[in-house]
Amino acid sequence: MVWLPVFVPLIGGLVILALRRNETVARAASVVSMVVTVLAAWYAASIQATGEWTWGAGLDLAVSVTDFGRVMVVLVPVIAAAVIGFAATNSEGDRAIIKLLVVLTWFVAAMELLVIANDFLTLLIGWELVGAASWGLIGHNWRDPDRPRSAREAFVTTRFGDLGIYVAAGAVFAATGSLRYDDLGSASPGWLAIVAGGLILAAAAKSAQVPFSPWLFSAMAGPTPVSALLHSATMVAAGAYILIRLEPVLSVVSWFGPVVVGIGLVTALAGGMVTLAQQDLKKALAGSTSAQYGLMLIAVGTGFTAAAVGQLTAHALFKSLLFLAAGVALHARGTLDLAKLRLGTALPRVAVLFGIGALALGAVPPLGAAFTKEAVLAGAFHAGIWVGLGTAAAGLLSTLYAARLHLLAFGPGPAGEVHGSPKRGEVLALAVLAGLTVVLGVLWLPGGDGFLERAAEGLILAPTLAETVLSWGLVAVGITVAFFAWRRGRLVAFGIPSRTRAFIAGWWGIPTAARVLIVDPVSRLGQWLFIADRRVLARIADSVAGFGELMSRVLKRAVDRAIDAVVWGIAAGTLRGAEISRLVDDRGVDAGVEQLASGIGVAGERSRRTQTGMSYHYYTMMMIGLVVVIAVASFWR
Amino acid sequence: MLTLAIFVPLLVAAITLAIPKKYEHYARPLAIGTSFVPLAIVIAAWAQFDIGTAGFQLVETTAWIPSLGVSYTVGVDGLSLALVALTALLFTVSIIFPIDDHGKPRAYFATFLFLEAISLGVFLSLDLILFFVFWDLSLVGMYFLIGIWGHGDAQRSALKFFLYTLLGSLALLLGILGIYLYTDPRTFNMIDIIANLPVPAGGLGPVLIFFGLGLGFAVKTPLVPFHTWLPPAHVDAPAPASTILAGVLLKMGTYGFIRISLQMMPETFQRFALPLGILAVISILYGALVAMAQTNLKRLIAYTSVNHMGYVILGIAAAGALGVGSEASRSLAMTGAVVEMVAHGLITGALFLVSGSILARGETYELDQYGGLAGRAPRLAGITMLAAFASLGLPGLAGFVAEFQIFAGTLGVFPWLAGIGLLGIVITAALFLRMIQQVFLGDLPVRWDGWRDLSRAELYALVPLAALVVIIGVAPAWLIRVVDSLSQVVTAGIVP
Repeated sequence: MVWLPVFVPLIGGLVILALRRNETVARAASVVSMVVTVLAAWYAASIQATGEWTWGAGLDLAVSVTDFGRVMVVLVPVIAAAVIGFAATNSEGDRAIIKLLVVLTWFVAAMELLVIANDFLTLLIGWELVGAASWGLIGHNWRDPDRPRSAREAFVTTRFGDLGIYVAAGAVFAATGSLRYDDLGSASPGWLAIVAGGLILAAAAKSAQVPFSPWLFSAMAGPTPVSALLHSATMVAAGAYILIRLEPVLSVVSWFGPVVVGIGLVTALAGGMVTLAQQDLKKALAGSTSAQYGLMLIAVGTGFTAAAVGQLTAHALFKSLLFLAAGVALHARGTLDLAKLRLGTALPRVAVLFGIGALALGAVPPLGAAFTKEAVLAGAFHAGIWVGLGTAAAGLLSTLYAARLHLLAFGPGPAGEVHGSPKRGEVLALAVLAGLTVVLGVLWLPGGDGFLERAAEGLILAPTLAETVLSWGLVAVGITVAFFAWRRGRLVAFGIPSRTRAFIAGWWGIPTAARVLIVDPVSRLGQWLFIADRRVLARIADSVAGFGELMSRVLKRAVDRAIDAVVWGIAAGTLRGAEISRLVDDRGVDAGVEQLASGIGVAGERSRRTQTGMSYHYYTMMMIGLVVVIAVASFWR
Repeated sequence: MLTLAIFVPLLVAAITLAIPKKYEHYARPLAIGTSFVPLAIVIAAWAQFDIGTAGFQLVETTAWIPSLGVSYTVGVDGLSLALVALTALLFTVSIIFPIDDHGKPRAYFATFLFLEAISLGVFLSLDLILFFVFWDLSLVGMYFLIGIWGHGDAQRSALKFFLYTLLGSLALLLGILGIYLYTDPRTFNMIDIIANLPVPAGGLGPVLIFFGLGLGFAVKTPLVPFHTWLPPAHVDAPAPASTILAGVLLKMGTYGFIRISLQMMPETFQRFALPLGILAVISILYGALVAMAQTNLKRLIAYTSVNHMGYVILGIAAAGALGVGSEASRSLAMTGAVVEMVAHGLITGALFLVSGSILARGETYELDQYGGLAGRAPRLAGITMLAAFASLGLPGLAGFVAEFQIFAGTLGVFPWLAGIGLLGIVITAALFLRMIQQVFLGDLPVRWDGWRDLSRAELYALVPLAALVVIIGVAPAWLIRVVDSLSQVVTAGIVP
């Protein structure tokens, strides 16, 4: 039962593949398989199923649908159902639509495995498979040479983070002889610190935190539904998910909280500014993903995981909505340039739906996203005034960029004249996600925080009146600033010099730094080592070969006169050696050498017939060998 | 029974040479049929193998040169059973794989069967002299395969391979004689030596023996800096010979490290475990970095072999570091090392066969000559990608199972070495993805418009390898259990 959330999409992908001849049915099958996955996940969560699959001693793949996993295991296919529904209707004319749907479905399977994992081996398997699926999805349009390159960048960056899980797994095993989450608590502080460090690295890479954030830009090479899924409940969600899940144990490590908060806060602020500076709608959304996950990490680091769970759920819903709407915008205008979209008049319905997502992104009450962000803020102030103020600033940024994106992309503009209008299925997918975003507002009702605490098996802190006032006030400020900047036509650039803006929008130069400091030196080192390999190390082998060749040439000159004589000569010589050794060693080395010698005679005879010329080398070395044998046998008593 | 696995191919090899020229087209079906005999025997041996019993099983022995303590003894334990199975399978698929035999089918298939018998002999031998005879003859077989049926500067590469590895085997021979001289009563019997551990822990003698053995195995494995014979040999070898070279012959080196260096002189091994581990990490990073600089498909795969054999040696070094880390960690590393041998054999074997298919169609290994083949040849692309992903250690495929165990185990023994070595899997990811991208993705050059996908014979050879890579990746319990029966013995320092 516990494996169903993994197997259903796995088999679903195969079914889609089998139905590829009938494209309409295959498209329908993709949506059906996601709906079935939702039901399977719901069932597994309701019975809190557990299970395991044995590999070997100490290697059990343990899975369970417990804790926060119960929420996540359902959330993933719910969002995937909407996104795949969008993809199935949207990508008409895409020859490879079947491939896209299959890999999307398997992407979900891998993510579900990651979610139900109850030990580090299973976690790593799901973790890396999610990464591999994302490679396939980002490089979906593989005939364009740039896309596989982007896919590779994304994969290699996140794989660097995967090393953290390898390290964590090895550390847990070394400390406890087991790989299970449950046994983590019994690890000694030293090993536990290594586990914490490994998981922070892995989570930061997967959740696109500083300094790994730019891989999300590479991921833009994939089709819209890929971005929508990758930025919401799968892939990037994995990092925050595992930290939330293991926070109770990891928080024992004294520096765990501060480091996680630090990474989250820096990313939230830096990513917020990236989003503000970006002029490409999808890249702006990608920047905001990093920033929003930064907020979740702040919640985890301050110990209020239930707030992080709320934030993750709310973000998954509104971010997939925003990305799908961005896909509609791209389709309608043929560009993602924020200066050229203004689709509000042309696509009023989509504008409203995007608006709901933007309001959630900006944390405007009474949406659920506002509730969770306030909870994050409350936790941050609980941890310290500066953390609190920093988080408040990040919150202000998010309202500001949310308003900016909506006003620029879906603000009033020219009517009519769009390249392609959205299909009914696409709008339906957007509406489902928008509806869920609105429904999440129930968190404001009494008992909302208790619900989150039970779902997350963690804590949440109710904001004080001052914190609520600050939070709402900043939302108002953000919207007002954005509105007036928009009225003055300064919302695209804010009057910042374009080079500065490009630097910030390009993730503060991190991609360049990574290329100059890591990628180029490593590949140059590889080339340099290869040259050294040929010029220096290969000489060793060459000189050995040269020596052998010299020896065999000497031998061959002799052999040319009388091959047989030499072959048997070796044998006879060896026999002589045996005789000598008999004098010294009465144990009977002679018999062995005699055998060897006659063996050589026969083998030599045969190989001479098959391949004259090549055999001399062997004789040469064999002779040297025999001399050594005899010498050792003779001198050792 | 195990004896038959050695002598049936040997006998048929002789018969194949004797086939009249008129009937020489029967050489291939005869060889294919014959190669199933060892395979069937291995499967039977696997079924009979009792994982609960430590030590060697299915032992067959007969006197050879009793006065010297030399005997003909064969048998298997968890280590050799896994490797013998790998050997039998790789030979079958390599013989099936279609190839240009240069108009000498009898000689080609006879050499292949001869080499199969010899290779099985290396892993089955439980007598050091027998082991050494097989070890040395394996060089001869491979020398002819590369020299006669290779391409490019084949003779030279074959010679370099031959002489260099022969030098290594001289060192090995000295080491073997050294062990022999400590035995009392004098014996070459490996079971006795492993049980009695005649070589003392201290003194100069054991150290010299260890280094002699180590040099022999390090050349064969190969460990950096003794690897330079490998790339030219691979580049110029015919595809099936490359598969055997990488899949079977390299394993003889790592097998020797476990069976002889570690099992016969554990205390000396323990003293040098850390330096060996450092050498392994150097191999891992060096192999990966140099592979990344390659523009030639086959040389790229050859250098990733250096990288992967580094993983194996790292696992062995960690396993042999008695007294460091927990026993569970060392056992995990040992199992990982052996599983990696099998996984690498299957994966790299497949990659070399695929590179043969590419050469047969495109007549070059230069990566930049290709592109966009995925659209033309989905089966070729699919199998290559599967093998490449397996090689970079993607979960769900065989390489991951091995690498996870090696690293997770080594981390409890040599944390820093494991941490640094892990960087290797990032580099291999980068280089294999680049390789896939260059050959299969992007634009299809016009001249490959007529590119043929894999033929049926090629699929017969490749599909079993790919299937096993997936099976081991998903459900490796059957393999791990057999290998664990060895690991527990070795890492606990228990005498079987």
